[in-house]
Amino acid sequence: MSGSRSLKLTVWALVWFDLIFLAVPTVIILIASFTASEIIRFPPEGLSLRWYESILVEGGFREAFWRSFVVSVICTALAVPIGTLAAIALARYRLAFATTIQIYLLLPFTIPLIVSGLGLMLVFGEARVLGNLWPVGVATCAINIPFMIWSVGSSVNALDPDLEHAAANCGAPPLLTFATVTLPAVAPGVITGALLMFILAFNEFIVSLMLVDARIVTLPVLIYNSIRSVITPDLAAVSVVYILVAFIAIRVLDRLVGLEIFLKSR
Amino acid sequence: MTAEAAPAPRPAPDRSPGLRLLFALEAGRAAVFGRMPKSLTPYVFLLPAALLIGLLVAGMAYMVDQSFRELDRATFRLAEEWSLGNYATILDRLVYWKIIGRTVLAAVVVTAGALVLALPYAYAMVRTDSARVRKALLIGLFLPFFIGQVVRAYGWLIVLGNQGLVNATLGAVGIEPVKIIYTYPAVLIGLVQYMLPFAVLMLAPAVTAIPREVELASQSLGARWPSTLRHVILPMAKPGLVAAGVVVFTLTITDFAMPEIMGGGSNDFIASAIYDGFFAVADAGLGSALAVILVMLASLLVGVIFSLVGVGTLGYRQRRAA
Repeated sequence: MSGSRSLKLTVWALVWFDLIFLAVPTVIILIASFTASEIIRFPPEGLSLRWYESILVEGGFREAFWRSFVVSVICTALAVPIGTLAAIALARYRLAFATTIQIYLLLPFTIPLIVSGLGLMLVFGEARVLGNLWPVGVATCAINIPFMIWSVGSSVNALDPDLEHAAANCGAPPLLTFATVTLPAVAPGVITGALLMFILAFNEFIVSLMLVDARIVTLPVLIYNSIRSVITPDLAAVSVVYILVAFIAIRVLDRLVGLEIFLKSR
Repeated sequence: MTAEAAPAPRPAPDRSPGLRLLFALEAGRAAVFGRMPKSLTPYVFLLPAALLIGLLVAGMAYMVDQSFRELDRATFRLAEEWSLGNYATILDRLVYWKIIGRTVLAAVVVTAGALVLALPYAYAMVRTDSARVRKALLIGLFLPFFIGQVVRAYGWLIVLGNQGLVNATLGAVGIEPVKIIYTYPAVLIGLVQYMLPFAVLMLAPAVTAIPREVELASQSLGARWPSTLRHVILPMAKPGLVAAGVVVFTLTITDFAMPEIMGGGSNDFIASAIYDGFFAVADAGLGSALAVILVMLASLLVGVIFSLVGVGTLGYRQRRAA
């Protein structure tokens, strides 16, 4: 299909359309965050950093940011061991009922998020733990854990089982073999998965909406609640925080494992 | 480790602290799991994940149970005995049929739109000869992918709002402002943009799997590119197209934030109706019944997709892996 000029033209016209379509909300938020006036207008009337100053001074957004950060840390800390072990079990062992187990592990993707959120609200409510931050971390981990299993799983397949046998033959006990041979080999998958889990938890909205109250509101929920009234530029400044976090995550991912791994066919 | 290491490892004095910690952990592991048969190991590995997902299953069970209990308007509690009353109420009310129809239509349109836009992007990203172009396309994809729905919807509010970018631009050239925000098309635009990275990421590996030689062969046999696309690319990318389609479809049919923020309250999806069932009318039974309907509808439609285009794609993958 390569070579033809009309093909190249068609493909690249669509690619440019996609790129602009994907970038529009991000770029517009960046511009709006530097607005000097009380409301967002086009073209903007003057530039200022006043909205960045106001979100730093106003405690609500700062506290919500830290709560989201804590939720993401809890989610990632749970997901790394849980997902890594599950992925190794799936990829390296012969399991009875393997298909059933795989379907079960994909349930978080097949149950709609609104249903998961309400269900967890009922479960955590019954356990009388609502109103804490940690159930939100557990919840974001539960709904996204297939991402972690998938990330690690794709690098477990690249691991040569003979290496583990060699380590065992040399007298390394199981846990030592695991820590010095298996883990380093799957590290790219673990890093990718951990980053995905952190970012997804940091952005998680609907399940958090069910599990938080006014005292422990997370950043996406706070943004959502604020959108309902007038569109003020302070929300744009808060949103820029998300753009920055996304940018950092991409840099880290690219440095450590390379974004190209997402193009590999498995 | 030296070759003459004893079967029961004992930490030697010259070991690094990290290694000593590992040996201590190994001793702990041996004490707890040492007598467990080896064949149980993978199941122990799977146990934490199973328990975590068990929370979701428990939640789902709660909702199924509640869906069979009608709200008693006198006491505002759910009935003790099971009935199909909530389901009958939903099927009886035109408004719920409207919401379901609106949601399914959106899922179909958004899936089609996202796939059409995603294929050239995935193709260009995989086939380009320049590593820098590939990197740029990957970053252009991942930046929005890593920014959540609420923030992106907020961006669209600024673009499509009544005094937003689009209307300001129209006004500057003397065209009357159009109402875009808080309409159904606005919800669809927001959803396609949200789903596009998912679709591209699911499609890219499938496009990678198509050998360039097959395309060249079809070309040297005289096929023009539209027929190469139809007879080579599309059939060979089918596993990826089906996977991407199913993911986008299920994510759209269950979406909450985009219709809430971009739809302005008059373009609710099923998820909004469930939410309102719980929090606006405080009828957890009705909300739960809607939730069960949503789960069944999504599974049913995915099943229909699979039977139309063939689950063969899944079998293909397994055969290759084996």
